[in-house]
Amino acid sequence: MFTDAMGLILADNKKISLGELSSPRALSAMPFAGRYRIIDFTLSNMVNSGIKNVGILTYNKYKSLMDHLGTGAAWSLDRKNDGLHILPPYVNSEATSISGDEELAGLIDFLRTSRTTYVIVANSNIVFNTKFDELIKSHKQTGADISVMYNKDGLKSGKPFYILDTDKNGFVKDMLFNPEKSSSNKSSLGVICLRRDLLIDSIARQMAHGLTHFGIHSFVKMYDELKVHALEYNGVVLRINNVQSYFYSSMSLIDDAIRNDLFWNGEPVYTKVKDEAPTLYFDNANVGNAIISDGCRIYGNVEESIIFRGVTISKNTTIKNCIIMQDSHISENCQLENVILDKNSFVRPGVRLIGHRDYPVVIGKGAGI
Amino acid sequence: MTKAEVVAMILAGGQGSRLGVLTKKLAKPAVPFGSRYRIIDFTMSNCVNSGIEIVGVLSQYQPLALNTYVGNGHPWDLDRNNAGAYILPPYQRSGKSDWYKGTANAIYQNRDFLDDANPTYIVVLSGDHIYKMNYEEMIRAHIEKGADATLAVIEVPWEEAPRFGILNTKSDDVITEFVEKPANPESNLASMGVYVFTWSVLREALIEDETNPDSSNDFGKNIVPMLLNQGKKLSAYRYAGYWKDVGTIASLWETNMDILDRPEEINLVDRSWRIYSRNPVKPSHFIGPDASVVNSALTDGCRIYGNVVHSVLSNSVVVEKGAYVKDCVLFPGVVVKAGASIERCIVDFGTIIGKDVSAGANVSGESPYINKKLCSGGICVFERGLVIKEGAIIPANSMVDSDLKVAPEKSVIESTFRV
Repeated sequence: MFTDAMGLILADNKKISLGELSSPRALSAMPFAGRYRIIDFTLSNMVNSGIKNVGILTYNKYKSLMDHLGTGAAWSLDRKNDGLHILPPYVNSEATSISGDEELAGLIDFLRTSRTTYVIVANSNIVFNTKFDELIKSHKQTGADISVMYNKDGLKSGKPFYILDTDKNGFVKDMLFNPEKSSSNKSSLGVICLRRDLLIDSIARQMAHGLTHFGIHSFVKMYDELKVHALEYNGVVLRINNVQSYFYSSMSLIDDAIRNDLFWNGEPVYTKVKDEAPTLYFDNANVGNAIISDGCRIYGNVEESIIFRGVTISKNTTIKNCIIMQDSHISENCQLENVILDKNSFVRPGVRLIGHRDYPVVIGKGAGI
Repeated sequence: MTKAEVVAMILAGGQGSRLGVLTKKLAKPAVPFGSRYRIIDFTMSNCVNSGIEIVGVLSQYQPLALNTYVGNGHPWDLDRNNAGAYILPPYQRSGKSDWYKGTANAIYQNRDFLDDANPTYIVVLSGDHIYKMNYEEMIRAHIEKGADATLAVIEVPWEEAPRFGILNTKSDDVITEFVEKPANPESNLASMGVYVFTWSVLREALIEDETNPDSSNDFGKNIVPMLLNQGKKLSAYRYAGYWKDVGTIASLWETNMDILDRPEEINLVDRSWRIYSRNPVKPSHFIGPDASVVNSALTDGCRIYGNVVHSVLSNSVVVEKGAYVKDCVLFPGVVVKAGASIERCIVDFGTIIGKDVSAGANVSGESPYINKKLCSGGICVFERGLVIKEGAIIPANSMVDSDLKVAPEKSVIESTFRV
């Protein structure tokens, strides 16, 4: 009930690009599952674990993220004490450009203001629904300096990924980055737990050694000098590492078991509220195996697709295996298959767009087709 | 609270007894409506969209759910530092304390609240109408005409006029008379229960009305005639848009169906006049592989594996494979099990319609649940938190109520649970 931990989310990842989809926004602000942004999952996991102080470390393209997070009210993080803190690069008045030094110095200041013993640090490229109670408990029990979560996705993880090798007590003895082959299938989730004072000392030491970028796996890598324990997670984990994995991860939500694990068996996933109208299905609507959000108007055919809020699918139009993002309009007599259509796009009548299952057609934000 | 030009007071304390089991545990304004709303969302959103920042919600009957729902007013942007949403239940005071005796008495009892805000005008509203209206325009008309009170009116078909409170007017829409449900109406201008008053005028009238022991302390019956007798200027403000009173089972059902049949009239997608509501925090809805959904309204958390035709579903409704739902209004969390077939049913929170149940307008036969006093047009109503027995048959115009004394072999209720 009283969780002695704060949270730190790394909102972007310099190793991950989703091409045109991530060009207007930080990775963590990628729309997902019809009404969420990827960060909603990790942020909700933290809040549902009783964490009341969360820092979000960003370095660029954070406008859409800030629009989304606002005061943190949707996650009950609009608090007088603690709450949500967006940490853009800290630039002092003399600096002419942003270097990593400022990023890290600002972070240390933020970590020092907290009073909790532990910090949970998480990347934002995975989607899962859990509470971190287990992680904190295991961290205390094993006496580890750092605890890292993994699952057994192994080489299927999709680049970039880190494979952990552990001894029989579960302590990490090796870590491989994007290996071609590996005897271990323990793939890091990019979520760690450690003491706050250790995190501050380690960042200060890294800065003294000239490191300017904060990365979770630079801590895991300290397995030679520190005790790094690995904790397995058995639930559903969807990884967003590139366009293909974004597409697969999204489409896997059509599976009842995966959807139930993410949304129905655990705690609620919070997101910004939009107050759209209910979705209306008209006379000839024909929808199967689809996730549909509020505020849509469905006149046509939708099959195996994810439809975000405020989308119109017109008459005699067929949408198959597609992701159609917020406020897009698909006119009459269109056929879209294996397409990812970003926000606010307009597809004129009679357009035919067919991608490949493994290589979906990606249409950027606000396109007119 | 800072001084405000306008304060709105929403009368939300009525029992709504004509909605039967739907208002057993819930005040009428908190009853779900139109897939993702509660009835009071329309009035609350109208206030905010009209620029009114102080909104008092007068609650009395079964206030718990309504108070929780309105909360600090956050969903309507009414969580302000010196303004916002205020829930105003009757309270005890030194000397005489009372429940709210009538609509006017409810405002009278809250005159301290109003005096603190010290508004020039007050808008008195009911929390149980479905409509979109700009009160700011109405207040402007009130000021321009130099009126002491302005009543919003809507033209109703002449044959329906005897069901309403009718306002007789002379030139320039000056009100001469208020007649409650006239047998031979002189006018077809029905009062919508939307009033703008100059606060100083109303304040005096409320105090005077309290001194009359015979008064039922009601706006329509007492305050409006009293102001007319005093020679005050009462003006009618004509409204021409969509407006429905959802006071009965039949009108609640019909108004829900209007969202499907006349979506342009209430126009919920109009982003310049959004209807705000408290969010259920559920994922987007899911339509399964063999499902069929036509002419229907759905919202977050629904999971549909069966057939849904011409129905309005609130959040987190589950329709299993092979189930058939037609012309229904299903409240949050309702489950319709495989093989069940329901038509023209209003099902309250969380109730589970068992496997192979047959219920509603197309089912004939005798049943102890038939309630022609409240149900009409074949509509069936189910109380919240019921598990309906597998294979149960429930004929048209039934109201399934767990408090009804029914012989065990005739009962359709397997068990009840707390929602």
